[in-house]
Amino acid sequence: MSRRAAGLVLGAALLLLAGGLAWWWFEGRGRRLGGVLAPAMGPVGPQATFAADLYFPADDSLRIERRNLTATDDPKDRIKKIVQALLAGPTAAGLARPLPPGVELGAVALTADGTAYLDLRWAEHEEPPPGGSDAEMQTVYSLVDTVVANVPQIQRVALLWNGTQRETFSGHLDTSQPLVPDRKLH
Amino acid sequence: MTGRRPLASLPLLLLLLPVLVIAQSQRATAPGTPAAPPAGPGSPSVTLDGREVRVPALISPGGPLFGLKALTEVLGGELTPGETGESYNLKLGGKEVVIGLGSAVITVGDNIVSLSQPPTRGEGGVAVPVDFLNKTYGDLSGYSFEWRPEQQRLAIGRRSARELPVTLDVVHLQGMTTVVLQFTEAPRYHLSQQPGRVEVQMLSDRLAVPSPARRVDDPLVKGVEITPERVRIELATEAAVESYTLDNPFRLVFDVHGESSVASPSGPAFTPSLPASGIHTIVIDPGHGGTETGAIGPGGIQEKGLTLLLAQALASRLQQRLAVRVVLTRSEDTNLPLDTRAAIANQNRADLFISIHLNSSLGAGAHGAETYFLSSQATDTRAASAATTENGETAGAAAAPAGTEAAQDDLRLILWDLAQTRHLTESQRLAALIQGELNETLQLKDRGVKQAPFRVLMGAAMPAVLVEVGFISNPEEEGKLQDAAYRADLVEALVRAVTRYKELSEAPEKPAGAAPAPGAPGNTGNPAAAPAAPATPPAASTAPSAPGARPAPPPPSPGGGPKPPGGAHKP
Repeated sequence: MSRRAAGLVLGAALLLLAGGLAWWWFEGRGRRLGGVLAPAMGPVGPQATFAADLYFPADDSLRIERRNLTATDDPKDRIKKIVQALLAGPTAAGLARPLPPGVELGAVALTADGTAYLDLRWAEHEEPPPGGSDAEMQTVYSLVDTVVANVPQIQRVALLWNGTQRETFSGHLDTSQPLVPDRKLH
Repeated sequence: MTGRRPLASLPLLLLLLPVLVIAQSQRATAPGTPAAPPAGPGSPSVTLDGREVRVPALISPGGPLFGLKALTEVLGGELTPGETGESYNLKLGGKEVVIGLGSAVITVGDNIVSLSQPPTRGEGGVAVPVDFLNKTYGDLSGYSFEWRPEQQRLAIGRRSARELPVTLDVVHLQGMTTVVLQFTEAPRYHLSQQPGRVEVQMLSDRLAVPSPARRVDDPLVKGVEITPERVRIELATEAAVESYTLDNPFRLVFDVHGESSVASPSGPAFTPSLPASGIHTIVIDPGHGGTETGAIGPGGIQEKGLTLLLAQALASRLQQRLAVRVVLTRSEDTNLPLDTRAAIANQNRADLFISIHLNSSLGAGAHGAETYFLSSQATDTRAASAATTENGETAGAAAAPAGTEAAQDDLRLILWDLAQTRHLTESQRLAALIQGELNETLQLKDRGVKQAPFRVLMGAAMPAVLVEVGFISNPEEEGKLQDAAYRADLVEALVRAVTRYKELSEAPEKPAGAAPAPGAPGNTGNPAAAPAAPATPPAASTAPSAPGARPAPPPPSPGGGPKPPGGAHKP
């Protein structure tokens, strides 16, 4: 190998090294900012309107209210829009909010096995609202059933309260593990 | 030329460097990659008095876990799996330790003990954390356990023997003799009873023998001998003994009766074994309590207070009606974790577990009663979780062939399913009887028998139901539930259902497992319509408490039931 050829290879290698290090630094910075439960990122593709079936608590069950919502194809964005609409409450008479006003969706995280982790936050409330078993099931499955019904990539949902996964929300239902929809409530 | 070759390969190495850096960062952040176990010099090891012993161990995110079966072979004790496959019993130093897989709450004799992390499935059955060992083998057998993370080693030694002063009092009053052994601090001991004799054997402590020796002149106690290793109480031949402990200072108390006056002995060392089948012990759980109010009605009535009133009344009526021992999980307005409630039922070897609740709905018009038993989804999830956990545990051990592991997981799931199915069938039977009685008696809206993954039912190793006797969120039902007569009707309906279940379970020609289930979820008839025959009353008006159990209260009063005896425990 001539000196000139060696110099060219060395130069190319240094350029590649600099590029690789720059990429690595930016990637690491993004991860450091994001953390484990990264907040739902902003839209990554074109927005589109879709029909969402929202499961709201009714007297003895959950009942569907169909809404047109706008989101990207990103499952996190879709989940965020759906849950925000659910938390905002129903428009039809006879349906109820799953959680009191003031409860908001914090972080959303997805895992490769189709589990969505939703962090619910309620300022100045350490505990979820008290309730009987039916109320607790209506609250929890309103969220679980709605997300699974409208986001094909998701099969189960785990709920966190103020960043913590709890044994139970109101003293009955086991929420320490992800839940699959309970279609008997529909 | 040869001298320039190393220089010529440098650019190639530099080319490879960013690729390696990128590959490494990708590997570290690949989605779904499990957290790497803490780096250590090798697999955890275990030493006993400085010599290495073979005990399977693994590192979980919560800390090290050690195979209990192997430890019993080294340190003693008898480990047996529970009926359902999700619990294990460890007999050690005369006490029984009940371990629920996945539960960070265990029972040691009469005491409920919290652990830093739950025991999980492991090689040979169950793997336990270090604090489990200190709270069992440490306290009961005098061993010490020290985890040394820098060496990845569990060092087992022996606690230095304490010399505990003990004083003796013997009092005879109204036909009963009370023997009190008072210690400066709680000793580690084992109680045993033989005909005419009770022995308190020190496990790792020594007693400072009082001097001069106390001479006993008593009609029921022939003598009390104290040596550094034990206390021996010699009884008159017709005498029987009840024992319990008192705190501050620690006292071990023996009530010695003439045999005819004793209802039944109690305490682990004195409890006769119960017949293998039938309903002998029922644990009733008043839902919520303490800061956890449960549902709150529009009139401000809190679920936790009504559940306590109902549970106390039910306990009282069941004891009057049936020859059963009834234990309440709480008898005061106190917080009680859900796992502890099931642990109390397991600890008392309950045959039935009934959790009493009042419902609420987010909808305005919901009303009626419903009865839940555990959903199979919950048991499937737990089984899958247990299998996953075990796979994770064994990752660091010698890898088994993949097909073998999968087969073992399948087998575990099948065994789990078989055990759970038996309990679920019985739970459904009880739920259907309760729901039928509530429908028949109260003419409430029949909301049916339902299934849900309720946490309080998950750890119970017996038929278990959660009864929602009405909607406190419904103003009309909230009003009814404040009426004592209405509550009494509710209690009577529950008593009839339990009575019928007991009859079905104990009928010799039609054992519970063979009788058809009287109802199905969501479609309940009235299987309890046949009048229940009066049951034999208990041998004594107040049935003896279970180890660690709160005594069942007398009939309800407006002010609620009595308080449990403070500071008293069955040893």
